[in-house]
Amino acid sequence: MSKPPFEVQRINNETRLIVRGSLDINSAPVLAEEIDRIIAAKPPRVVADLSELDLIDSSGVAALVKLYKGIRNGGWGGAIEIQNARDQPLAIFKLLRMDKVFNL
Amino acid sequence: MAAPIRLTVPGTLRYRPIAVRVVAEAARLVSESARVDPNDPLVLDVRDPFDTSVVSAFMEIFNNIAIHAYQRSESGMIELSITPADRELVIELRDNGRPFSLEGVSPLPSALDDDSLPEGGMGIHIAKTMLDEMTYEPGPPNLWRLCKRLSTQPTGAGRS
Repeated sequence: MSKPPFEVQRINNETRLIVRGSLDINSAPVLAEEIDRIIAAKPPRVVADLSELDLIDSSGVAALVKLYKGIRNGGWGGAIEIQNARDQPLAIFKLLRMDKVFNL
Repeated sequence: MAAPIRLTVPGTLRYRPIAVRVVAEAARLVSESARVDPNDPLVLDVRDPFDTSVVSAFMEIFNNIAIHAYQRSESGMIELSITPADRELVIELRDNGRPFSLEGVSPLPSALDDDSLPEGGMGIHIAKTMLDEMTYEPGPPNLWRLCKRLSTQPTGAGRS
């Protein structure tokens, strides 16, 4: 079993989700479980760092949308920022016109 | 037309990375893109816009076959024919699973905001937009034909 392509760091009030490698239909379900845990903790601020993400497909996008909506619409005033998308992942966000929503 | 590269893999997600890697290397034959690390040929590097488009589209169609045609079962194979030419790449995928209805795919919302962000139904849209041509013929075998030409790039595909 390969290592999950993500890491969660909690520093003070910030929860930082670092996503690495390929976020796709094979790895997104594992991340989605972690996203459920992040949302359940009702963090005041979440940062999804995509600087080490090389490849994403629609399943990976769906997982990040789930995180974004879960924090923004959770009702406790949580904030989320998606940062540092580049190359193929950024192209996918632009194609789907999500770059504007995510402020990428 | 160059000779096609042929590969047959089980139509499950477990074999997807193998197929993606072959397609990425075939795209590189056309784009002649430089590797991020010339000393490490095993790194899957799709930063070039052409490679980005080809691999992004292919991943979505492979997902579609594994999930919709073969219903996540181990019941069938995917036959790939990948033809790198001078300035284009043609990929054909054949499967013997359930036919897919391209007409049944809903368009993405015309305006996106926090509430309308889609959590599904994006795969076919990604593939179609990334390619110059995408056709589907129900079978058996079902046939997806994907074509990407070097001279054009999709909106938004680029280095950052």
